[in-house]
Amino acid sequence: MQISVQSLSHTYPGRPLRPALAGLSFEIASGQFAAIVGPSGCGKSTLLRLAAALLSPSGGRLAMDGEPPQQAARARRIAWMAQSPALLPWLTCRANAALAVRFHRRDTPSRLTPEEALRRTGLADAAGAFPFTLSGGMQQRLALARTLLLDADLWLMDEPFAALDELTREQLSAELLELWQPLRPTVLWVTHNIHEALRLADRVLVLSPRPARLAADISIALPRPRRENDPAFQTLLAELHRALGLAAITGAN
Amino acid sequence: MSSGQRSSLVALVIVLIFFLAWEASVTLLHTPIYILPAPSRVLQTLGANAGTYAEATLITLGEALAGLFFGLLAGTLLASLLILQPGMEGGVMTLAILLKSTPLVAIAPLLTLWLGFGVAPKVIITALLTFFPVLVNMLSGLQRPDPALLDLFRAWQASRWDIFQHLRLPSAAPFLFAALKISAPLALIGAVVAEWTGASGGLGRIMWLAYSNLNLPFLFAAIFLLAAFGMILYWLLASLEHKIIFWSISIE
Repeated sequence: MQISVQSLSHTYPGRPLRPALAGLSFEIASGQFAAIVGPSGCGKSTLLRLAAALLSPSGGRLAMDGEPPQQAARARRIAWMAQSPALLPWLTCRANAALAVRFHRRDTPSRLTPEEALRRTGLADAAGAFPFTLSGGMQQRLALARTLLLDADLWLMDEPFAALDELTREQLSAELLELWQPLRPTVLWVTHNIHEALRLADRVLVLSPRPARLAADISIALPRPRRENDPAFQTLLAELHRALGLAAITGAN
Repeated sequence: MSSGQRSSLVALVIVLIFFLAWEASVTLLHTPIYILPAPSRVLQTLGANAGTYAEATLITLGEALAGLFFGLLAGTLLASLLILQPGMEGGVMTLAILLKSTPLVAIAPLLTLWLGFGVAPKVIITALLTFFPVLVNMLSGLQRPDPALLDLFRAWQASRWDIFQHLRLPSAAPFLFAALKISAPLALIGAVVAEWTGASGGLGRIMWLAYSNLNLPFLFAAIFLLAAFGMILYWLLASLEHKIIFWSISIE
């Protein structure tokens, strides 16, 4: 799914003096994995909520394959994953996955069964377990299985692994990449972890402090899996650091 | 011994000490039986009139449970309606609070006047009494599911009905149990108070008769039964709660 953002602005009602987004513009090609980084509170999550049609923008335009987000959402072409795994605690893993099938995209039949999605995310043995018996990493795996079941064209991911420990986070993001590569949906991945952004994404969009504007747009052409000790990785890391520093200064003025 | 077993043992010991102290003080102070009968005397009365009490308990308990059922049903249905059809909450809640603020002691004789000495007015009073906690609790439960889950369902473009049945209703289950724990003892009180205003049977009727004749052992036997059944009802609800909303208890 191709995404086009044109002078997008958003101000929350009751806070007219602190717009979250002010004139944000960028384009993302279909199948691209785009990481969105920026200082905390800069409006990254607002951008994602606008894309999921959970919010309506106060100005500008957001288009998905030329259509407004509401339309893409109604066709159920969008998957949503956030920091909270958002599992139904009264349902087993299998039932949680099966529920997602109810909300599968409307134009095609589902390609995966809940069992298959659980197997691919390493949860085959936990199918009958309740979410509260699982570790945080396993819970996010279940959320990932649910995302897979939707066959969506766009994955909106708001720091899905931020609450996990470093080791689990790296492992899960590697697994996510493996699941993503054959399917190639467009991904908008919000993170404040720049190493993670560089390991995963085709492109890193750096946002300025609130109100968010595009401060830098860095393409990452490195083949995956990427190694942090690769000199090219280090160069990009330095560039990203510089961009984030710059972003902070521009925002302050 | 588990901590649960230990705490129920402690509770048992405390109750036992209470009754022993009661028994001892009444015996030592030679308290007249028309002021305060000893627990042993009360139990004796209970044993001697087992049939009468069993029948009365059955009537009162039946009224209380039927009232609780209707109150639960009405409260849950009304709360669901307010969620599925927003915009009516202000009006309906004003009516509900008005109903709640009307002293039931005043309504009970009226209902008896209209509907006679049978069980119907008792069930209505009990339902009116238990309805309000259920309505208020269910409404809060239905209104406030986990925001992260609400986001997910909205991102899925789930219909209002889907959100209701898959998210709001199960999320409200812990609130329902909280309401039931308040309403179940209220149901017994409702049934007894209603019987007090005129009934052909039941523990409230026995209490009223015993009170009129200053037959205090008879009165206390009824009180003992009510207290015991109130506690049993509460225990049943608590164990049902553990079985049904295990997921909520485990998260805490």
